[in-house]
Amino acid sequence: MSAAERTQAVDGIRPRRTAGKAVVAVAVLLLLAAAPLVLGAYPVSTMTRILAFAVLVLSVDLLTGVTGLPTLGQAAYFGAGAYTAALVGIHLTSDASVQLLAGLVAGLVTAALTGWVAVRARGVVFLMLTLAIGESVHQVADTWSVVGASNGLAGMPPITLFGGPPLLAAGFVYWWVLAAAVVVFAAVALVVRSPYGRTLRGIRDNEARMRALGYRPALARYGVFCLAGAVAGTGGALWAAHARFVSPGDLGFEVAALALLSVVIGGAGSLWGPCLGAALVLLVRDNLSAAVGGHGPLVLGLVFVAVVFLLPRGVAGLAAGIRRRKEGLS
Amino acid sequence: MTPLLELRGLTRAYGSLTAVSGVDLSVLPGERHALIGPNGAGKSTLFATVAGTLPATAGTVLFDGADVTALPEAKRARRGLLRTYQHSSVFLGCSVLDNVALAVQRVHRVAHRFDRAARRFRRTEAEALRHLESVGLAGRGADPAAALSHGERRQLEVAMVLAAEPSLVMFDEPTAGMSAAETERFAALVERLPSELTLLIVEHDLDVVFRLADRVTVLHLGQVLASGTAEQIRADDAVRAAYLGSARTDDLFTGGTP
Repeated sequence: MSAAERTQAVDGIRPRRTAGKAVVAVAVLLLLAAAPLVLGAYPVSTMTRILAFAVLVLSVDLLTGVTGLPTLGQAAYFGAGAYTAALVGIHLTSDASVQLLAGLVAGLVTAALTGWVAVRARGVVFLMLTLAIGESVHQVADTWSVVGASNGLAGMPPITLFGGPPLLAAGFVYWWVLAAAVVVFAAVALVVRSPYGRTLRGIRDNEARMRALGYRPALARYGVFCLAGAVAGTGGALWAAHARFVSPGDLGFEVAALALLSVVIGGAGSLWGPCLGAALVLLVRDNLSAAVGGHGPLVLGLVFVAVVFLLPRGVAGLAAGIRRRKEGLS
Repeated sequence: MTPLLELRGLTRAYGSLTAVSGVDLSVLPGERHALIGPNGAGKSTLFATVAGTLPATAGTVLFDGADVTALPEAKRARRGLLRTYQHSSVFLGCSVLDNVALAVQRVHRVAHRFDRAARRFRRTEAEALRHLESVGLAGRGADPAAALSHGERRQLEVAMVLAAEPSLVMFDEPTAGMSAAETERFAALVERLPSELTLLIVEHDLDVVFRLADRVTVLHLGQVLASGTAEQIRADDAVRAAYLGSARTDDLFTGGTP
């Protein structure tokens, strides 16, 4: 077989695999969209929170999985988005799309202001800097009376869409959050597949080599930091749209750590894996915890240890392994 | 003809140890220049100082007529001064094609675009594939770079460097750790490179050196011992003495006791 034929053979596999992926994606989307029709208000509300949290987890994955920068600071931008959306909701308009845009801009601007320091470092130093940023923003939220200080920000009216009536039913809020989360997921997927995504993976794998090829990695790292801030801010706005209450706890260390944990469990670098991780983490913390006498964090810790030992590349790595084995057999 | 690369009194010291001391060297456009010398002669340090990986302690690096001594590595690379590493340095978590495309997309100025999927940038993809083919890695594009053998990674590095559109390529011990067959394939690959491309090669394998190089510079204890055509170097007594080990190694420590 000549080289050209082999290239074609490799390309020939791709359309079939892409078609299979598209079928799975459409099926998952239909199931998610149908959820409010069959489930009660409480499970739907849980799923809404999972979706908003998954958007935050995507932003962590963009930094940690794609660019190789483990972070504990994304909850700060998530919180900036949530508080901004809530303030817009209380003082300006109940239109959810305006709140979403405001949350996005808030996350982007906060990340742009604080990221310039963080992206100069790598590895553990970067992790500590993002932790410091996260704790500082948390401290501001906890003490600043304009945003309710430690009482949190309450009194946000229900969201409306395109001038319609207030969305009071959990199902309608869920559909709005689902639609927005899907758009964010698609946007992040596009970034990951684009030349910029390739640049980011290059930085993750071998930064010295990138410089030797003429790249300025610090610039690309700053870019993705701002982008991840915008994604996290969007997630925060979605969180606020559902909860209609934001407290300093929503941007605390625990949220940041759980987001990073979701990425590790799901498989850093994959996009759907960390979303599954987000679902698992929130379900264990909020739902399973009561069943095990409030020891949810203990269960999460055990899950984390099990994943690190049994699935070093997360849930997504497990799926990739099964796919490879199937191809090897056929 | 003005040299493409000119070093004037280039010096690099690590504390009291002067690894490279006052090296003068010029490489003409299109020349295949080999840098040899026993272990510890300062070849790799000289290399890193020319590429900008390490800053020079003293002296000047002129590239294409301009003083680039103060420029960081990335800026030198953008001017066409590209290097490879002694231990192959590729993007192991990326596909083979992505490795080369990273170099191409920087040259095509699309490295920060995220409005479309990478494979929709047809010109970049085609160029990356062409470079993969030219080093004999066509058909491996979809494989992860981690799946390549040592020799194949070296081939991939050549494709990456060529894709960055260099005028001078510096190879740091490219055949180190290669089998005889891999070395042969690599030497043939270098021989096929376009003749207008200037090469500076650090190499231990003297067969490869005398096969590829027009000119050879011998480095010993951080200084230029001899420079000339392959024939002149082969006949040089001082070079022979350096290689056969009659030199006193305590000359390495020029600063004396601190």
